Amino acid sequence: MKFNASTMVLPLAALFVACFIAPLSVLMALSFASEQGAGDFTLKHYLVFFGDRFHLSILVDTLMLGVKATLVCLAFGFPIAWLCARAHARWQSVLIFLVILPILTSVVVRTFSWIVILGRQGVLNQIVLALGLSDEPLRLLFTQTGVIIVLAQVQMPLMVLPILTVLSKIDPNLGDASRALGAGEWRTLWRVTLPLSMPGILAGGILTYAACITAFVTQTLIGGARLIYMPLHIYQQAVGANNWPFAAAISVIFMVAVLVVVGLLNAYGRRFERYA
Amino acid sequence: MSHTTRMTRRELLAAAAGLGAAAWLPRIALAQAGTLVAATFPGTWNEAQRTILKPAFQKATGASVTQSIILGTDQVSRLVAAKGNAPPFDVAIFDSPQVLDAVKQGLISEFPVAKSVNYKDLLPPFQDKWGPKISMQVIGIAYNPKRVKTPPTKWSDLWDPKYKGRVGLTALNSQLGIAFLAELNRLRGGTVENFDPAFKALRELLPSVNAIGANLGAYATLWQQEQIDIAPYNFNFVQTLKGKGVPVEFVVPESGAAGWDTSLHIVANTTNAELALKYIDLAIDATVQAAMMEPPYDVIPTNRKVALAGAITQTLAKTPADLGKIRGFDWAKLNPQRGELIERFNREIRT
Repeated sequence: MKFNASTMVLPLAALFVACFIAPLSVLMALSFASEQGAGDFTLKHYLVFFGDRFHLSILVDTLMLGVKATLVCLAFGFPIAWLCARAHARWQSVLIFLVILPILTSVVVRTFSWIVILGRQGVLNQIVLALGLSDEPLRLLFTQTGVIIVLAQVQMPLMVLPILTVLSKIDPNLGDASRALGAGEWRTLWRVTLPLSMPGILAGGILTYAACITAFVTQTLIGGARLIYMPLHIYQQAVGANNWPFAAAISVIFMVAVLVVVGLLNAYGRRFERYA
Repeated sequence: MSHTTRMTRRELLAAAAGLGAAAWLPRIALAQAGTLVAATFPGTWNEAQRTILKPAFQKATGASVTQSIILGTDQVSRLVAAKGNAPPFDVAIFDSPQVLDAVKQGLISEFPVAKSVNYKDLLPPFQDKWGPKISMQVIGIAYNPKRVKTPPTKWSDLWDPKYKGRVGLTALNSQLGIAFLAELNRLRGGTVENFDPAFKALRELLPSVNAIGANLGAYATLWQQEQIDIAPYNFNFVQTLKGKGVPVEFVVPESGAAGWDTSLHIVANTTNAELALKYIDLAIDATVQAAMMEPPYDVIPTNRKVALAGAITQTLAKTPADLGKIRGFDWAKLNPQRGELIERFNREIRT
């Protein structure tokens, strides 16, 4: 019996159509209906969204939140991945376990523990006050800074793992060659390691970005109700206001916006394919 | 033929997206025979119903019950979405406003009063052909007695400059949020048609506001973490938090108590109507209600055989007649505006 790739992919494809394409089509159709159950076609929900700075600014804020959280994640994640890749085999497994550890607890639990850390009476503020760094507790909870800190920690494994994979595949001889040709550690990192790890950075970046902007739990628990991002906005329109078509329309807009960002990153990534 | 499995970035993304989607799938609690699925509210309600009603139900029927925590508005949307299919739960728990919506949309069936053992023992205001009222919820001012030495007496105390940066609020998706806004509007001279006075007052309050909880779970955390010192809250939630050692006290403001009823309903088209009836009947049973009136739940009873006692008589009502004096809201007129109010609230509070 002969298997080829296309037959093996069929079950997955069927699942994909049933669980992803079909609901997505329903969502699309709903977003063009004037109200739930009406079979008409209207662009009114899209026009309302784009005609109102309130809605637009929520979209922009959400996309920017993703950029900031992803950059923070990269700033901390790359050194961690680099350390992991260069560590002795035994230490490497310990380090990788530590990196994966956060995924093993629920995101709700992790987020609630961050509330304990960031709150007015939280661990962080107690340290700051005890050290005399500030006279009043710092406002971290319910600020964008707080959301970014927590997102960066919660999504860190998504950044570290792809980078680690790429870093550990880089031929160590390339580093030796660079040093033999007179480059220092920093120059080697900047001119050799970093460009070679670009596919990993981009994959990690895309994963982290997508996870950060859609992180409903973290965004609402740490951000509170005053920082409105797209997931909360969609939820409130659908469930609170019972305005399903509008919720569907802004979901579609959000999805397209994310696809555009991911597409741009992917296109940028092609430039580095020659290294791979 | 050599074949290497090399995952492209796109495949990796698709796989990751699939994993992410799986994590987001709702915990599907499909209604099955012999297992009742009952919706419950977060906080006091879930805790009291889990520790008192659930064992009583299992003892009486031998059937099991899954209690699923879902807000009233969430329940309405889920039942609407499931129309024509098996409903996702058999017993709904609603506050007064959702009952109107649910009846209008045909989501619940009439309560078979004749088959109910305890229905006749309900105080008259708590009898309802769509489902018995199991309790009342009353809003007032909560404060942290460690940090607020003089207890507040009126709603306008929230605007006191000394509480700058210490006031809490909750988003309008909860009943508490809507009720507070409506009460504020009434006190500031607004009408159900005109919410401008409430929003003007809200704007004046915002500089004092430390945090607005996105949901009731987050709101409880604000008190536990002592992030806020004074805020509108619900009598029962305060009692439950107090029972956990959280420093919080409740006062009814001078302008009087305001509240609404909470009721249980048999969901339309459920295959478990018999068990649902039994479950609801037990929720209005005198023994169950007396147990729920014990601290830390202090759930207001609706069965005439249960004499008011404990924190309820100290804070809210000495007699059942006092319960009748708790001011209600015009939900028939408020409900259609809910979406608009949520959006307006969000525009006002967004930083």
